[in-house]
Amino acid sequence: MFARIEVAMRPDFSDPAAEAFLRKTELAHPELFAKIRWARMMEVYWLDIPVAREEAIRAIHSVFWDRVLQWLFTGNLIPSAAGKNGGIQDLFEAAPVRPGEFWALERRYRSGVTDNVGRTVIEALEIVLKQPLPEARASSGNLLLIEGAGLNEDLLAVLARDLYCNELIQTWSLVPASELKKSDRFHQERIKRDLPKVSFRGGSEVEEYDLTSLSDDELQALSKKKLWALSLEEMRAVRDHFKKRLDEGKGKPTDVELEVIAQTWSEHCKHKIFAAKVNYSERAKNTLIPRHIDGLFKSTISATTSEMAKPWLLSVFSDNAGIVAFDEEDAFCIKVETHNSPSALDPYGGALTGIVGVNRDILGCGLGARPIFNTDVFCVAPLDYSEALPERLFHPRRILDGVRLGVEHGGNKSGIPTVNGALVFDRRYLGKPLVYCGTGGFLPRVIAGRPCESKEVIPGDRVCMVGGRIGKDGIHGATFSSLALDESSPMSAVQLGDPITQKRMADFLLEARDAGFYRAITDNGAGGLSSSVGELATLSGGRGGARIDVARARTKYPGLKPYELVVSESQERMTVVVPPEKLAAFTELASRRGVEVSDIGEFTSTGLFEIEYEGRSVARLDLEFLHKGAPRLVLDAFWDGRPAVAGASMPTGRRSFLEEGSSALLALLSRPNIASKEWLIRQYDHEVQGTSVVKPLHTAFPGTPMAFSGPNDAAVLKPKPTSEAGIVVSCGINPKLSDIDPFLMAQASVDEAVRNALCVGAEFGGPDSVLALVDNFCWPDPVGDPAKTAWLVRACYGLRDACLALSVPLVSGKDSMKNDFKGKLNGNPVSISVPPTLLMTAVGRITDVRAARTADFKNTGDAIYLLGGSRLGLVGSEFQLLCAENGSVLPGTGKTSEPDWEEARRIYQWLGGTNGREQQRIRSLHDVSEGGVLCAVAEGLIARGLGAVIRVPDGMDLWEFAFGEGFHSFVLSTADADCGALEAEWIANSIPFAKIGAVMSQERLDVSFEGNTATWSLPIRQLRTAWQRGGYWE
Amino acid sequence: MSDKPRALVLTGDGINCESETAVALRMAGFEAEIRHLNDLISEKIDLDRLSSRYAALAMPGGFSFGDDLASGRVLALKIQCSLGWDLPKYASRGGLVIGICNGFQALIRMGVFGKDVSITHNVSGKFLDTWVKVAPAGTHCAWLRGVGTMDLPVRHGEGRIVLATERRSEALGKMDRAGMLCLKYEGNPNGSEERLAGLCDATGRILGLMPHPEAFVRWTSHPEWTAQPGRASAPGQGLALFENAYQEALNARA
Repeated sequence: MFARIEVAMRPDFSDPAAEAFLRKTELAHPELFAKIRWARMMEVYWLDIPVAREEAIRAIHSVFWDRVLQWLFTGNLIPSAAGKNGGIQDLFEAAPVRPGEFWALERRYRSGVTDNVGRTVIEALEIVLKQPLPEARASSGNLLLIEGAGLNEDLLAVLARDLYCNELIQTWSLVPASELKKSDRFHQERIKRDLPKVSFRGGSEVEEYDLTSLSDDELQALSKKKLWALSLEEMRAVRDHFKKRLDEGKGKPTDVELEVIAQTWSEHCKHKIFAAKVNYSERAKNTLIPRHIDGLFKSTISATTSEMAKPWLLSVFSDNAGIVAFDEEDAFCIKVETHNSPSALDPYGGALTGIVGVNRDILGCGLGARPIFNTDVFCVAPLDYSEALPERLFHPRRILDGVRLGVEHGGNKSGIPTVNGALVFDRRYLGKPLVYCGTGGFLPRVIAGRPCESKEVIPGDRVCMVGGRIGKDGIHGATFSSLALDESSPMSAVQLGDPITQKRMADFLLEARDAGFYRAITDNGAGGLSSSVGELATLSGGRGGARIDVARARTKYPGLKPYELVVSESQERMTVVVPPEKLAAFTELASRRGVEVSDIGEFTSTGLFEIEYEGRSVARLDLEFLHKGAPRLVLDAFWDGRPAVAGASMPTGRRSFLEEGSSALLALLSRPNIASKEWLIRQYDHEVQGTSVVKPLHTAFPGTPMAFSGPNDAAVLKPKPTSEAGIVVSCGINPKLSDIDPFLMAQASVDEAVRNALCVGAEFGGPDSVLALVDNFCWPDPVGDPAKTAWLVRACYGLRDACLALSVPLVSGKDSMKNDFKGKLNGNPVSISVPPTLLMTAVGRITDVRAARTADFKNTGDAIYLLGGSRLGLVGSEFQLLCAENGSVLPGTGKTSEPDWEEARRIYQWLGGTNGREQQRIRSLHDVSEGGVLCAVAEGLIARGLGAVIRVPDGMDLWEFAFGEGFHSFVLSTADADCGALEAEWIANSIPFAKIGAVMSQERLDVSFEGNTATWSLPIRQLRTAWQRGGYWE
Repeated sequence: MSDKPRALVLTGDGINCESETAVALRMAGFEAEIRHLNDLISEKIDLDRLSSRYAALAMPGGFSFGDDLASGRVLALKIQCSLGWDLPKYASRGGLVIGICNGFQALIRMGVFGKDVSITHNVSGKFLDTWVKVAPAGTHCAWLRGVGTMDLPVRHGEGRIVLATERRSEALGKMDRAGMLCLKYEGNPNGSEERLAGLCDATGRILGLMPHPEAFVRWTSHPEWTAQPGRASAPGQGLALFENAYQEALNARA
């Protein structure tokens, strides 16, 4: 039978979902908000359950209805389930105005879109009815009831489109009040119509292409039409390859073959730009960068790591993630991904699949690791953006809202703590938001008798697809992300993740791993089976090979074509290499864990990737050609030199620090790039798994009305109950420096990530100190643009310079090279490119977590030092942006901060415990980054409510001391009695330092200067208010 | 086989705090076994087998079935329909039960604390990870005996305990007299009735609570521990609950 079930919170209880909708309305459309007097959010379910009516009613009772909380409207199915009238009008009576003007907006998923709640509904019905219901169908949605004066269909359509519904994945309809009071929508035929069966016409056909006769123009047109994202040179290489095959009488290329090649050769999978030959030149002649670069990845990234001998590196760059030894028994691994393009189209789904996708990288790293933390960095346009939006772009609030929720669901529901991250604002991220999702994993160094980093495939091993089923979702994701976003970007590129299906799969796979049931594993991400099987096939025997029958893969619905089965990026799937003798045990465990396995074929040694559909050959690809046949890109790069001093060519001049210093500090603390992210951080579980030692925030007086939090620099986790050693996770990102020089930007990002790790207590500088970096490039498309290519070259060489100087290896990374938007604004063409953005993520070890440090000042009377600090500059700082926005002059000496790696090593080796022995006397340590020394001091005061007196050292420019940013600097505090011991060690180690003040009990910040003749002062309360105000969103 | 009292820790279907819950039980002295729900079902671990094999049952935190429909609802249905566990009966035979966060939500949906209590979305509408102060009320709950005010983390989106409106005062009075209103927040992070952070059943042996005691078994988990580095090696305040249960289990055996 069919049923429509509407669930409403009883009017006695507040309705947080409706209130959240109203808060968003107030921000986005205050004029509409003013008209709304009342709103309630209801859940709606459409069911088709093939059981008798009485049974169905019994099941609906127990699955859908909480009598304390809810009313249930089911037409006439369960008449007692509502208020006195037994219908939706009972709810209307709770509205403040009667008789009111009621409207309802119904929303539901488009058919075929992942509906996790619908899936759970079927499982719940199966549990209650104690029988499998393979034919049952369920769909979930909402009904938003609104009462207000002066609303009309047009205004409600604005609400629906802007705040209620993403029309890419959902549909909505307006239901007038007169309709609501009738019960037509509960009629069997109507529900049947509302719950369409998903199926697609067609199925097994395979198209063949004759490329031999195509002209260059036709080749390019075909690549564009099919979303293959292949260049003319690549299309020619494909044409020539298949011409040879045709001449040998082995047939024309099929759509399956061409799709597999397009996926494998996509920028997303192949990193063609990082592999390209680059011809580099600069206006200045004395460049340190070579004229001809034989691949940036090889020359700057992998070469950097291979120049360092680090015995603790177990696997770098070759796997899904880098693997690093933790101790004799265990290892940890790290991967950071980006999911920018999908998040631009569907922020929630894009971010959700971003986080669960990178979790799978970890599950498929080596023999499989258990995810132990997530780290997320979002780059978006300012939330107060108020100008017209180009077509198809979402407002940054809506982007951040969806991304935040996607990562919340992806992380929290998977039971993985989100321990670190950043939020970066720049207007240019309007064109494409950047969504970095990273995950760390933990694994034993020996698993079922084999080293954890080994991946082995033996011809005859089975190819098993594990986890979710294949659907149309995510077809062409890899090739799509290799194109600029434009108005015609495909809907099928978006997918929704299912954290619970993935959690079940993850739990199962770790059990199977420890039992030794498989020999190798990798995830199905970009490119789907074409990538995962295509890559594993290269490991099989000498020449490699695999033969699969895609008709044996489980699907969400019938009608998928062979090529769709091969390239679909449907989520929650891993490809597992199972020895034939273990297959029975593997599938038996899977079925006990409620996980589906499709045995789709075997690995061979034929040198071919063979794909069949119901036994009929649909692709026979030469692995050598597939993986090595792509022609190499050649890029030209030209660097025009740094822009004139003061970057944005703003006026410089003198300003009174006495008159303007304190207001500048408050303004800086409120800037979204500096302001508190507590509103965001607390919506993520950062403590699940019980390993937390240093959290994203330090909190004074937790659980009391006095509880306030301030920021920490990095996270510390204690992954093993039996060991006091810990893992440190931090990041560094500074895209604003790209406007000066991406070389400097990359150096600064490395320095910041390392400094953040050192702040909390990471080891550094000794032969066994474990500290590693992950690089993530998000770039505007450099192809055909020598300036953008030069930015990339310079960032790569800046990265290499900093890593070599600090002797910190790179272990993993990813690049996203097409972060551009091309569209229309008010009918005129507009293009927006992101600033060159490099995220550096550092992971390291802390010898003993009980020695971990946080950023907050601890005790009255403690001395405050600036460590390092001799190279602070205002050019490229947050303060410069503030001056530019206010139209005021930039004070200071007009210098940019430049690194001195010799000095850095001396400071970091001392902080990292390699030199000296007095580090345990440090009471707090915080790096000097956005907003400079005074913001760092303020951040250390905000939580505990202590005060400080800061004296600007003589001879320093006041503004540069206060708000300059730069390399190698820290604010440190220690007990007054310990100053002598610390200073002696700093002098012995040639570490620059200056005693800049002391912690005091009065709750204010005093800043004195000019030989203590001038002072300004701010109450801590005011600093806290400023810091907590900026950048707030849901 | 060890002669320590055994504790069963449930996992599967999106439960995700099983490891740290087992660690806490082991630190307290239990032999803790993490078992998948599906294995318990296929091995037909009914109430009798549960009672004879395990002195304690822990239902850990997590997002069972993704919190779809309502937090803990489908997990509760699965335990009731597929295992048939009558937990009040398990408690009356001497068994101890702790439901933490999602486990507590499932206990509520199973009706362990009566028909007039439910749990729903925080008033803020948001998931919240923060540390709170909670204090036991009364002395009825075996898990909370001798425990003072504790700092513990809450990490949930659905922690607002509510009562049936039309029977609110009657239900509150009844639960209060039975000693069931056993744990209260000093503040109120989610808008719960009577600042309730946890409930126990009439026997005092089944405890459900939203805060996570298993997340504070070593002092370095505390958000302010670096201000008192001298205590870094100390146990956390949440451990006392598991130690109480261990003593209770030994007593029940004697």
